[in-house]
Amino acid sequence: MKTKRSRSASISSQQRPARNAAARAVIVSFFLLFPFYFFLDAVNSQTPPATRGVIRLKVKFKSGDVTKELPRKRFFLIKGTLDDNRALIAKLKQTDSVSRECYYRTKGASEALIKWLVDNDCDSIYCREIEEKYLSGSDAVPEFQAAYNQGLREFKTPGLARRWLTVNLPSDIRDGFYKQKQEVIEALVKQSEDATKTKVMSVMTDRKGTAYLTDIEPGTYTISNLVGSETGKTSILWACEKEVKAVDLAIAMRRPFTLSNEKDPKVKCEFVERPLPVCKQTVK
Amino acid sequence: MANGRSKRKGRKGIREGTQRIPLCVLCEYLCVPLHLKLFIKSPIMFVLIFIVAIGAVAQTRQRKPTTQQAPKGSAAKYSAFQHSSDKHKSLTCDACHKVPTAWTAKRAFPDVADFPNHDACVRCHRQQFFTRQSFAGGGPVICTVCHVRAAPREDGRFVFGNPNGAGQPTKPRDERQFTIEFPHDKHQNVIAWTLPRRSSMVAFIRASFSNEQTDDQKNPAYNNCSICHQRDDNLVIAPLSTQPDAATQSNKFFKTMPHAHDSCFNCHWRNQKPTGDDCGGCHKPSSTFTAVTAPKRISAMFSHEGGKGEHMNECTTCHINITRASTLRGLTPDVPIAACITCHKDNKKTTYPKLTTIEEEFEQFKKTSNCTYCHTADVGKKKPPASHEAAAQ
Repeated sequence: MKTKRSRSASISSQQRPARNAAARAVIVSFFLLFPFYFFLDAVNSQTPPATRGVIRLKVKFKSGDVTKELPRKRFFLIKGTLDDNRALIAKLKQTDSVSRECYYRTKGASEALIKWLVDNDCDSIYCREIEEKYLSGSDAVPEFQAAYNQGLREFKTPGLARRWLTVNLPSDIRDGFYKQKQEVIEALVKQSEDATKTKVMSVMTDRKGTAYLTDIEPGTYTISNLVGSETGKTSILWACEKEVKAVDLAIAMRRPFTLSNEKDPKVKCEFVERPLPVCKQTVK
Repeated sequence: MANGRSKRKGRKGIREGTQRIPLCVLCEYLCVPLHLKLFIKSPIMFVLIFIVAIGAVAQTRQRKPTTQQAPKGSAAKYSAFQHSSDKHKSLTCDACHKVPTAWTAKRAFPDVADFPNHDACVRCHRQQFFTRQSFAGGGPVICTVCHVRAAPREDGRFVFGNPNGAGQPTKPRDERQFTIEFPHDKHQNVIAWTLPRRSSMVAFIRASFSNEQTDDQKNPAYNNCSICHQRDDNLVIAPLSTQPDAATQSNKFFKTMPHAHDSCFNCHWRNQKPTGDDCGGCHKPSSTFTAVTAPKRISAMFSHEGGKGEHMNECTTCHINITRASTLRGLTPDVPIAACITCHKDNKKTTYPKLTTIEEEFEQFKKTSNCTYCHTADVGKKKPPASHEAAAQ
């Protein structure tokens, strides 16, 4: 009995270090793995804080008694406050861009073409495909008719001649005004990029005058349309200051940054509203 | 018993170093100083380590093999046309392509509608066309770049635009060798399009350029994306099959994309740069790739035709980043949840009484752990992201 007991005692004494080591391993793994699981859980459940900013831009203008939204106009986001961009803003105010009507009158455009541009709110002929009613009849636009007839000779089919009508329009009539405006804008963008050493971002408003500037580095910015936007009877130029904080888009949605031609003490904004000039017809 | 015995044997083997494999040795040496010797030696840990090791090896093996090129001078080399070869790259596009080709038979508009003439190939590849060696077997293999068979009386040619690329003997796939440059922002500056009447869904589907005005305002409205992207009735995409009502889901989730020069040449044929003969103005050389014509629909149950017509807003109202995109690269659909919340939020219910809101979707998630109104089940079971929570607040 004694021998058996001593043998079993010796076996248990041999197994003890192994058991201790196993216990140690379990404890170590517990301490190593559980914090890791907690960390993973925390990472999954925690909402990562927003690191970039968003601006929901809303552009309105008051014309007479009616407040309207400004559709399809491009706005630029320039790094720095209004004071930082003082030189640029001074240049914007000095830049006297030609109005759409004046440009086309200077180029000898017909009344029908000018009416077509105004009715469709277009800066160039590319704006919309030309409908058949503008090729003949009372609404006919002489410039379109000439281009269509030329296209008919070249492309053979009336449909193609109409759809490819802009191919046969003189360049100054086709998109001369747009290109002239773009040249001014590109020069101003380059100036601001050189001054701020930051790329200028731009967005276009939708038909309700809304646009989103997303993924912005937090800081203070100047928002401007750089050249006056024609709104019927006037042209409005904006340069407004906005501090951008890191925020989720959903929160930015609730607080739009509104540009208007009415004074708002809450918004640090400069705007210049000029009446559109009366233009004289220049016969070619 | 057998298992227990084998375990003991295994442990003993490792302890004594009689059956060691290199990985075990490494682990043992690494872990001894940390007193984790037994922990590592447990069979479960071995299995885990083994799985990790296998995974690592598999991952390294999964790397794409480099394209095998036919040896220089071999016939196979000339069966595959590559715009990207050094010689071809050194040529201007009009050195081979005529702009326009005789288009009237093949197109409804002037276009590069056919392969270059024989002269374009023969002037450099005379050897591949006319030597005795080239006629061995099935005829000059270089002919199969454009022709279905290299036989003098075989006139059948592949469809122009899909030159016979490497490893593509019968051209079953739509392989491309050029990418397209398209600045969305510039085009949105100049192009506008009137939005059809809200009440008329048919008018939207069969949209044509017109000056129709919206009911609520007499000023022209715009939807210029629709000029190039319209409802795609031909695209067949897999339904979101995890859903019980998969059969009723709209297949018209994605829009069309321009796939012919007509969409560009109507303005860029001449005078407006890049013009029709300046191929490089829009097309940039790329390694051969297969275009994805039927994108995979993954998570959203959204339908453009849904929302009782309310989903047919101006595209940029929801796709908020398109107007700032100066290239096609890196462009994503960009519809944030915030765009949905404009209507799908509880406080909007006065306007849209039967609308499912984000709050209701969250409630459903609490009960079923799945957001199935807006998402497929596999995406809906994930924890709603921070943006969704912020939107619901």
